[in-house]
Amino acid sequence: MTQSFPKREFLIVGILAAIVLVVLPCLNAFTPPESAFHVSTFSLSLYGKYLTYAILALGINLLWGYTGILSLGQCLFFSLGGYALGMHLMLMIGRLGQYKADIPDFMVFLEFPAKYPETGGLPPHWIPFKSFWFAALMVVVVPAVVAYIFGWLAFRSRIKGVYFSILSQALTYAACLMFFRNDFTFGGNNGLTDFKTILGYDINSPGVKRALYLCSGGLLLLTYLFCRWLTSTKYGLIQRAIRDSENRVLFSGYATANFKLFVFVLAAIISGVGGALFVPQVSAINPSEMTPAKSLEAVVWVAVGGRGNMLGPIIGAVGINAFKSYATHAFAEQWPYIIGFLFIFVTLFMPKGIIGLPEQFRTIKRRIQQRNKSVDTPAESAVATTSEGVAK
Amino acid sequence: MDMAFLLRRIVIFLIAAVILSSLFARGQDTNEFRRILAAAVIADDGDAQLEGIKQLINSSDELVARALAAWRLGELYVLTTGADEKIPILLDSRLDEEGRARAIRIRDGEYLKGETGEEKLFLASDLTPADTTSRLRRTIKTMLDLYAMANPMPRMRRDAVVKLGQEQNPDYLPHFEARQKIETDPEVKRALNEAIQLTRMADESAAVRNPAIIALGELNSINSLHFLKQFRTTATNDPAKYGQETIQALTASIVKIENHIWWGNVVGTVFRGFSLASVLLIAALGLAITFGLMGVINMAHGEVMAVGSYTAFMVQGIFGTGLMFSLFGNPIRIKGFGLTGTGFDAYFVVALMASFIMAALVGLLLERGIIRFLYKRPLESLLATWGVSLVLQQIFRHTFGAANVQVDSPSFLSGSFTFNGSPIGFNRIFVISFALFIVYGTYLLLTKTSLGLQIRAVMQNRNMASCVGVRTDRVNMMTFALGSGLAGMAGCCLSQIANVGPSLGQSYIVDCFMIVVLGGVGNIVGTVTASMGVGMTNQILEPWLGAVLGKIIVLGAIILFLQWRPAGIFVTKSRSLEG
Repeated sequence: MTQSFPKREFLIVGILAAIVLVVLPCLNAFTPPESAFHVSTFSLSLYGKYLTYAILALGINLLWGYTGILSLGQCLFFSLGGYALGMHLMLMIGRLGQYKADIPDFMVFLEFPAKYPETGGLPPHWIPFKSFWFAALMVVVVPAVVAYIFGWLAFRSRIKGVYFSILSQALTYAACLMFFRNDFTFGGNNGLTDFKTILGYDINSPGVKRALYLCSGGLLLLTYLFCRWLTSTKYGLIQRAIRDSENRVLFSGYATANFKLFVFVLAAIISGVGGALFVPQVSAINPSEMTPAKSLEAVVWVAVGGRGNMLGPIIGAVGINAFKSYATHAFAEQWPYIIGFLFIFVTLFMPKGIIGLPEQFRTIKRRIQQRNKSVDTPAESAVATTSEGVAK
Repeated sequence: MDMAFLLRRIVIFLIAAVILSSLFARGQDTNEFRRILAAAVIADDGDAQLEGIKQLINSSDELVARALAAWRLGELYVLTTGADEKIPILLDSRLDEEGRARAIRIRDGEYLKGETGEEKLFLASDLTPADTTSRLRRTIKTMLDLYAMANPMPRMRRDAVVKLGQEQNPDYLPHFEARQKIETDPEVKRALNEAIQLTRMADESAAVRNPAIIALGELNSINSLHFLKQFRTTATNDPAKYGQETIQALTASIVKIENHIWWGNVVGTVFRGFSLASVLLIAALGLAITFGLMGVINMAHGEVMAVGSYTAFMVQGIFGTGLMFSLFGNPIRIKGFGLTGTGFDAYFVVALMASFIMAALVGLLLERGIIRFLYKRPLESLLATWGVSLVLQQIFRHTFGAANVQVDSPSFLSGSFTFNGSPIGFNRIFVISFALFIVYGTYLLLTKTSLGLQIRAVMQNRNMASCVGVRTDRVNMMTFALGSGLAGMAGCCLSQIANVGPSLGQSYIVDCFMIVVLGGVGNIVGTVTASMGVGMTNQILEPWLGAVLGKIIVLGAIILFLQWRPAGIFVTKSRSLEG
């Protein structure tokens, strides 16, 4: 784990950022649609979706890859952020909806005006979401508060490892059931959808789509740089120490629960912001985004890309989702087999993910070399193995 | 010729005479009822028709009943002959190729014949149906219900009695009483008693009314509660007419019946709570072994349960009418034994064993192929087994189709009885007793056998166990196979009370994990306690909050409970730092 920013990584990130943030939007904006280089607005939105997933993956990586906390509830925070912005977008539809009412369609449909007559059918907690900035604030605050409460309870009583995973899964499951209910005032299983405008602009216009894409890309870059910085500080060192042996850190006098709580809340905020950018690009959010299975899937992106590394999760999230989009069109029936076997394969044979492959190959190569050498000089290899054992 | 022989002859002759005369008399009667009915059908006046039908009350003739039923449905026809004579007829149910049928004359039950003596055939669409009015249909319906009181099937008799009783028509009283004298079935007898009291309750005279009201209370008649309450409202509005005594009797009876229902509900809730707890327990017991004892998170546990359910489905197919599925895209058809009755019912016993074996095999493969590489990386075993669960689900979908499959309960598990108005199903009783059985079995296995001893040794200290000669590798394999086998049996059990589909496992997995964590990992007693607690709480909360909200609250409560006891209800003490 190097502290500095190695030149090679800097170069790779620079090139990737240039492609994502400059080349693709330019190809969308300035090439004619019939050109071979043209990137359609639909594709750009799709890439934007992958980028928001990558933000989610970075949050998971911060938790799992660097602190050793496997949370199966990250999609809950992602969805909470999404719902917070979605509520604002829902209110901005105004009278453009099918029922031509002041309140969102589903509220008319579910007969909310009878339930909340004093506000004309709008549940009271929806009212502040008429302001964009309030909604934007809630995108951060709601996931953070939920994560704080749950994390405080869990870490205080030293729930860790698989127990934490199972509990966070239960939390997600309970929340998911809750959001599926119609009387929970968030649209039941249809969720929030059919948005029309964002900040007064048409949400489906190419310009706005491009702007949203750029926001996702920019935010991903910022998150990446932030996580990169955070893990290189002294805090990051403790974080990794907790991952490797929490008890030793605890006995050294550090309040590990507070460190874990901080990173848990931080990851929730990152996920929430990702979710907020996901919603306007996909134009919908519903409870199926927060099922425990989705959270597991997101964990797998990180595992496939390579955890404990900042680039791995991004590669994993974008790669698997791009592959999924292609595969569910080309061979939908086989997709569960592919993804299922991919998990099994990656966990068994690629513990460091795609990003760790070169290192794995190097290790194998070194071993082969050593074996060859040991045939020549057995004594030397014995020394080598002992030193390796100590290093481990 | 001696006396004895003569006497015998006389007796035989007398018996024959009686039988003959009774037959003759009955024939006369039947014809009379038929004539009345035929007259009623063609009567012009609606009241005359009603009167005619009401005269049929004592008829036991099948043709009359059939004709009345047909009349109600507009399938009784009136044939007008050349001489302007109207003949009510009924068409035979057997049709020829052109859809025509023979006609039965209501008056005498004979087939209509042409001049040459051959039976005439009619097309239903060519005939004019006899007129009906809604009043007429209602009367006919009552009449048919009265006939149904003589139905050979006790359940039909009971339903008819209940329905008639609720009409509170004093005209029926003699029929009820007559039936009560000859009725043998206890349930029908009770229903008759209820119907009589219910009818008497509407009597003008307080002397008849009040004892009937009290009797209804004594009978704990749930069906009459509604009538009693209605009557109380009427009576309290007009105390002068009905008298204080009636009101008091009404209140007493209502309280008594409501009390009775309340007890029924309590027992019903406790029963449902036990049965849900047993389902959770059966499902979680396998997990308590794989997760609790081995520390492996098997996300495919639910799918291993589904393996058990599908095994039950296949065994059922083989015992019954055969089954069809597709293996990797190749349709396979297995011929069944075509058994019915007890032979078919035996499938369930075989299915229980087969599902254990199948699931244990799947577990064995899983352990050898994947999990044994991940014992030191529990978090990653979670991911890999989730991959397995995705693959298994898709295999189910491809092999048996995405829709739920039908697993029939054997006859000894279908059916139920009611306790104070709460239904108690035999399948649920079975699930409860099965849960007790396998918990006891698992307990014996873990404490009384050498495998159990080895399992516990490996669980407490893997390295030490290995040092004293326990083949930990083999023990792991056996333990995992055992846990999976139990899951398979759970799946087989679940097929009796839940839908069997590819996503069967997904609906139980979160609950199962919560129960194992709540009970205290590695502790069978804890698992039992936790599933009881969760099952009961769920059933108690459900009537107030609905199933979903109840479940959410239970999940929330578990999370909070673990604050208080982070290691679950029962803690396995250990000196190891990492626990």
